[in-house]
Amino acid sequence: MPDITTIIAVIIMVVKVVVVTQVIFSLPMPLTWIERKIAGHIHVRLGPMRVGPHGILQPLADTIKLLFKEDITPAKADKFLYKIAPLVAMVPAFAVFVAIPFGGEFIVPFTDKVFTLYISDMNVGILYVLAIGGLSIYGIILGGWASNSKYALLGGLRSSAQMISYEVALSFAAIGVVMMTNSLSLVDMVKSQGDWFWQWNILYLPVGPVWFVIFMIASLAEINRIPFDLPEDEGTLAAGYHTEYSGMRFSFFMLYEYVAMVTVSCLAVVMFFGGWSAPIDFREFEVLTPITSISWIYGLFGIFWFVSKVAVFIYFFMWIRFTLPRYRYDQLMTIGWKILIPISIFNILLTGLMRIWA
Amino acid sequence: MGVGDLINRFIEKALFTDFVKGLTVTLKYNVSRSITMQYPDKEKWIPYRRWRGLHTLNRDEKGRELCVACELCSKSCPTGCITVIPMEDDTGRGISDRVARVWKIDLVRCLFCGLCEDACPTRALRLGREYELSCTDLSCSVRQREELLQPQSIPETLEGGVVAAAKFVRTPESIRVAADLGKTKKRRL
Repeated sequence: MPDITTIIAVIIMVVKVVVVTQVIFSLPMPLTWIERKIAGHIHVRLGPMRVGPHGILQPLADTIKLLFKEDITPAKADKFLYKIAPLVAMVPAFAVFVAIPFGGEFIVPFTDKVFTLYISDMNVGILYVLAIGGLSIYGIILGGWASNSKYALLGGLRSSAQMISYEVALSFAAIGVVMMTNSLSLVDMVKSQGDWFWQWNILYLPVGPVWFVIFMIASLAEINRIPFDLPEDEGTLAAGYHTEYSGMRFSFFMLYEYVAMVTVSCLAVVMFFGGWSAPIDFREFEVLTPITSISWIYGLFGIFWFVSKVAVFIYFFMWIRFTLPRYRYDQLMTIGWKILIPISIFNILLTGLMRIWA
Repeated sequence: MGVGDLINRFIEKALFTDFVKGLTVTLKYNVSRSITMQYPDKEKWIPYRRWRGLHTLNRDEKGRELCVACELCSKSCPTGCITVIPMEDDTGRGISDRVARVWKIDLVRCLFCGLCEDACPTRALRLGREYELSCTDLSCSVRQREELLQPQSIPETLEGGVVAAAKFVRTPESIRVAADLGKTKKRRL
């Protein structure tokens, strides 16, 4: 019989996992609406307006439509792989959030218990995120392969080539951050960045901004968004790897794409923008001095800062989507192999020298 | 190309100046106001007077029909979609003793060129500003004199060229967009 503390710890863990999963699961719905609204306003249109006030219920209507659509399996498709591919894409996208810290830890008022605002503090957090996040690509490749369609197959192929090229640059960016912060754990990464915005990794001059740019470009390619959305290039490949999918299976792929965007935004915030810390250290002001870094106010405000930074990144990704055209396939490969990787290697050298001398 | 140009180009590439320029443009559009007219949900375009829409037959100030059934409109029509059959009537229905027994137009064949309007010697015929002419069968395509004599919803006195608040009205008989001419505003461009 385990003692009461263990049981409480397990219950808290389960509750955290359920809450995070629910939030992440429901996030793509508002995100589709926001993306369509941003698309509309950038095109000087209005976007969805007819379902609910300012079209806020549009995702709900879309969900109902997708639920009632026929689930088509093409003739001669590999039935098992075809059906499992969307799940293979979706599940790792959710599993990534185990390691992502949404906030620090605080002491629960009136007790001496510490409550952490992340599910687990893995000592290899960044490695875990990159590894599990990279698994999603199997879903795309399998979906493209199993559809028995030339467009889907080409989409899957492009996707695999793109992942191989850009996973390298992404990992290099992660290595750079690991060198700057001296830790593989995402929580320690945030803690090692200071409370003032000039102590964040993005302003670790001169290498910080370069790592950030490499990370952003590589992650744009990783999450298949414009300008690197070649796997689902509707101009040349119908809809790419999910051409043959319909109904809920298609929406699983969409879910994966939006969750991946949130993941990458979270990673960018954790790695470069100080995670949950405010841009200004408010505790420097005399009135706010009693708020220590382990008080619950600080913890909850941490979540606020984290969410707002992530929101800025999500807006940025959508903004880019309606600004840039799609790269050609050879340009994509050129950027990946001839520009990003040499720059990353050089930058690793520079970061190492800075760590030695600074 | 000199070394200076090369350095400049390198700096431009490294600082993503083109990219930032593009982002500025889209951001400007993002925060600018939309030019969408929410037709048919909330707004409706009221055309200028020069608009050539559904034909209307006018009356004079005493309520007599201005049409004298001279058939000039029918003669001038390039597609021959106007049918006029005259008759005699001295009860004061029209401004002369010759009035139209039948005056009908086939809107499916009409190309809204306005030649009939120009040909009309008494200014009885005018192309009005009704433009919601679609229907699901051909029943509404032929418009008779009685219907065209009814005054149109947009009066001739209204200048036009504005967006009016409107309501989408769906009845079993028809679908139409009822404009509230009291609440108008300029179109944003």
